[in-house]
Amino acid sequence: MEIDRELLKGSISLLLLNLLSRGEMYGYEILQAAAVRSANAFEFKEGTLYPALHQLEKKGLVRSQWRTGDNGRERKYYSLTTKGRKAAHEYERQWQHLTGAVNAVLGSK
Amino acid sequence: MPCWGASEMTTAERLIDEIMAASRIPSEGRRREVLRELRAHVEDFVSAGRQSGRCEEDIERLLLERFGDPRQIARQFAWVYRRERAALHLGGFLISTVLVSLVISATALAMQAGIMFGFGSPVLGVFGSRHTAIEALDILATAAAYVGLISLGRFFGRPLAVLAAVAAGLVAVFVAVGLSPQFILFGFANGALLRGIQVAVRHPAARLGAVLACFGVLGAVFFHPSSSALASTAASWLIMGSAYHLMTHVAARVDHALLGRL
Repeated sequence: MEIDRELLKGSISLLLLNLLSRGEMYGYEILQAAAVRSANAFEFKEGTLYPALHQLEKKGLVRSQWRTGDNGRERKYYSLTTKGRKAAHEYERQWQHLTGAVNAVLGSK
Repeated sequence: MPCWGASEMTTAERLIDEIMAASRIPSEGRRREVLRELRAHVEDFVSAGRQSGRCEEDIERLLLERFGDPRQIARQFAWVYRRERAALHLGGFLISTVLVSLVISATALAMQAGIMFGFGSPVLGVFGSRHTAIEALDILATAAAYVGLISLGRFFGRPLAVLAAVAAGLVAVFVAVGLSPQFILFGFANGALLRGIQVAVRHPAARLGAVLACFGVLGAVFFHPSSSALASTAASWLIMGSAYHLMTHVAARVDHALLGRL
């Protein structure tokens, strides 16, 4: 199912932080991981992913490093900082609260 | 090295070029890094496409589909780096203002000294502390207003509002320390007038004529019979007009050199 851009927008940081909390990844890997973990429900566009990663890096939530991956290619790997790890927990907590509230409203018909 | 073929490279490179050209990322190093990252991504995308048995045309089409509108991506990058760009614009504005002021001050003082000498008036009058201080303030404020209108306008969209805020701040400082703010206000009005002439009058010779005419009128308005001869005052103001006209050219070049890529 295609998810509306506006709905996805607010959850991008949460999704990226959550994916990176499982280990460092480079851009292409993040897209693949998001698609696999959500059974293709989330298909980040490249144009959304990279500016979002740069924004998180500027906020100090992720750090990046160029290095050679298992496939022998130089890639820019992103990983969570301590601040990013805390933010991931906090965003997740807020998300659970929000979805609980939304579900309560939706289920109250 | 990228493993894509000639056609994908052309498509992908064009796409990445379009993104980079409109992204307005302020630092050259950061631009190179984004470029490298996007190229690495395309390399992975093409490689995965080939491994899954897709034909080159399919890969190319999917790549364009996945990336979407390059201007939209560029806008997102521009938004991410907006603060760095604002800082750079303000820094460039300050450096431009100081550089342009120094060039124009030196030019105006040298030319005015020459005119005073030619009229047989005391040359040192030009370098008198009060005269120099007033002229320096005028030039600084004029340069700030003019440079602000051409450079801040590109970034902040409302250059007059930004300049009015800067002028109000300077006036408040002057009043707070007991100095008269009239020269600052004159300079800002002067800068706005020069910019107005530059926008309204397209022909270079007509523009110079308009600037000189305005400064001739200002010279007549501010003439004090007790302090100097009419001819030397008029000549001094016309020289100032010429120097300010020169400023419009210097400012454009300095602005382009400092902020042309943003």
